[in-house]
Amino acid sequence: MKKFVHHLSAPIPAYPLGVFRLAFGLLMVFGTVRFMALGWIEDHYTEPMFHFKYWGFEWVEPLPRFWLYVVHFAMILAALGVAFATRIWYRISAIALFLTFTYTELIDLTYYLNHYYFVSLVCLLLCIIPSPPPVLKRGYFVPRWAIGIFKLQITIVYVYAGLAKINYDWLINALPLKIWLPANNKLPIIGEIFTWEITPYVFSWAGMIYDCTIPFFLMWRKTRIWAYLAVIVFHTLVGLLFQIGIFPLVMIGGTLIFFEFEKNPVISPAPVETRQCLVSTTVSQILTMIFLGIFFIFQMLFPWRYLLYEGNLFWTEEGYRFSWRVMLMEKAGTATFYVKDTCTGREGVVDNSEFLNAHQEKQMAMQPDMILQFAHFLGKYYEQKGVCKPQVRAEVYVTLNGQPSRLLIDPNIDLMKQKDTFAPKKWILR
Amino acid sequence: MKKSLCIALLATLAFACKKKNSEPSDRFDRAKMLENFAQNLIKPAFQELQNQVNTLKTATDNFVQNTTLQNLQNLQVAWENAYTAWQYANAYNFGPAGEQGLRKGLIEEIGTFPVSTSKIESFISNNNANFNDFNRDARGFLAVEYLIFDLNGNNTNILSNFSSANRKNFLADVVNNIKMRVDEVVSAWNGSYYNEFISNAGTDVGSSTSQLYNEFIKSFESIKNYKVGLPLGKRPGQTQAEPTRVEAYYSGKTLKVIGEHLKAIENIWYGKDKNGNDGIGFKEYLESVEGGTTLITSTETQWAIVMDTYKNIPQNPRISEQITSNPTPFDKLHTELQKHTRFFKSDMSSLLGIAITYSSGDGD
Repeated sequence: MKKFVHHLSAPIPAYPLGVFRLAFGLLMVFGTVRFMALGWIEDHYTEPMFHFKYWGFEWVEPLPRFWLYVVHFAMILAALGVAFATRIWYRISAIALFLTFTYTELIDLTYYLNHYYFVSLVCLLLCIIPSPPPVLKRGYFVPRWAIGIFKLQITIVYVYAGLAKINYDWLINALPLKIWLPANNKLPIIGEIFTWEITPYVFSWAGMIYDCTIPFFLMWRKTRIWAYLAVIVFHTLVGLLFQIGIFPLVMIGGTLIFFEFEKNPVISPAPVETRQCLVSTTVSQILTMIFLGIFFIFQMLFPWRYLLYEGNLFWTEEGYRFSWRVMLMEKAGTATFYVKDTCTGREGVVDNSEFLNAHQEKQMAMQPDMILQFAHFLGKYYEQKGVCKPQVRAEVYVTLNGQPSRLLIDPNIDLMKQKDTFAPKKWILR
Repeated sequence: MKKSLCIALLATLAFACKKKNSEPSDRFDRAKMLENFAQNLIKPAFQELQNQVNTLKTATDNFVQNTTLQNLQNLQVAWENAYTAWQYANAYNFGPAGEQGLRKGLIEEIGTFPVSTSKIESFISNNNANFNDFNRDARGFLAVEYLIFDLNGNNTNILSNFSSANRKNFLADVVNNIKMRVDEVVSAWNGSYYNEFISNAGTDVGSSTSQLYNEFIKSFESIKNYKVGLPLGKRPGQTQAEPTRVEAYYSGKTLKVIGEHLKAIENIWYGKDKNGNDGIGFKEYLESVEGGTTLITSTETQWAIVMDTYKNIPQNPRISEQITSNPTPFDKLHTELQKHTRFFKSDMSSLLGIAITYSSGDGD
């Protein structure tokens, strides 16, 4: 154990960490500017009259538009700080970036993306590493764990994403790629490929193998450069094919952490104390280690929570999020809500578009916890409008991977009586 | 080494799958579909609308100059024809007919209902016909309808109302406004937009397929939610049916207009022109994708029920009266349209891989 701790604390060149935080910080600047330029502050946060909340974070509310811009400008400054600053300014920047970014993510569950979750986690890890040396200067050292944690986090992302692809539909039926790829047949030059029958199978298998193995090829010196080329090709291609925003850049930038940028990377031969190194063996270091231990145990275990629920995970989505399940299924639903005045018995049909934007409606219509949240919102809304003790039920038809749509939840159940917990949702039709 | 092994493995696998998979999954040409839509459905629909609006304008001018019963009756016929023609263009609110800056989609500018009679009357009494404001419920086809039809068919009432010069001015202005909007759209389709539409043949947001699809859905849902649901009192918070909120309330042409609209929706799904020539439409597009044939069967089955239900609604009395006296047949239409929604909405967009929103999805 002592040996292990010593190994983790051994100083190694800090250069890769510098490259990583530079790339990550600049990417965050780019991502934030892009987000504002696309008008998404308005589209996502200020215009919708209703926001879907994260479980446990129901208290997070969108600030007024002006203050949301302030938050985003602060995020840009913080990202620059993460890229370039040192010492206390680095620390302040990292904490500010984590808080501002995570805050904006928590405003509305609709926009949950695994790569945003990944960004939040990286921001958190950036908060607790030892204050890094000036960016891109050689001759500085950091303890091995300060670089290792990012490699481990990226490895978890890839491997879990790969494991999730090992399922019947993905490998044997090439679904959902068989649905998605032909829609790309108008891409210049390569478009033709997507009309071939073999293509979805090749992409499915290649994607699974890539995700499962790429971190290991990146770790191994001999294959690293080829693996990195594969990273670039893979993510560029996926970025061209699907509407996934800055995710390809995040991974192309993030995997730079695997490089050593030295011909002969040497572990500091001298004792730690004599090196220009920022390792300290204090209480705070012990606390950091304990935190990291818990953090990574959580990271490794949480994605498996779906095993505790009955039924097909893709259908119920109980335990689906925060588990690196990306691009795994083509799912869509049509959700019709009925609000009943229990005093008069009169039941009305809701026009969802009165309350939700297209993205919110699309996400809600296939995810039981969001359906429940919206039902509660409708109940309260119409109660204020004078509907007496409203009952809300929903008829939700969902199609999964091109299968004919069927009912997702019990259409007769009064959703106002249901609560969102981690307990299995009995009203989902399995 | 590992790589070549992988490729060999994949090749064998794909071969194995190729044999048993006989669905025709490739070579659907979206550009051909778009061309069929543009050439045989959309352009003719707008062209017909323009012709009818021109006739409406002539009839209006005649009537305003000479408020005789004959001229009024001619005007009423012209209105009915123009409004019928509009049903076939109702679903194409994109491109030149879409929202742009302050301008709303064509449907909101010329097809809003129910109209606000108090707003209309106040514009008339102030002799104010400025159509640049947000009072879309005081213009368009249904404002014209309110002006020229008497609820009880008493044309003498209408004629006597039109002794007012202000009323004549307002009517002429509303019709001119409709004509201006429609002319704009038609000239864009006759110009460069036609090629722009056909060549934008991807499936991303902003592609022609996506725009057409989204407006098709909106148009379909507007029948269920507004043309049928609203007057039946189907919206939450409505405490009773509101028969005065039917479409075409004053002329009583409600049922006919809904029928034309349903027919227009059906034509789009099939890619059929108004004369019944069936070209490449969403149906053919579905035939080319995984799971498409099953969805086609479900869609056609349910649509047949929708159309039967429509046909079983009595022609008389007018819908606004049926809603009070015998709402069941009309109510049944709402039920069947509701059942149909998923086949057009999520099932179809999912299979076709059509993007609905600009925002990013979950990456790999």
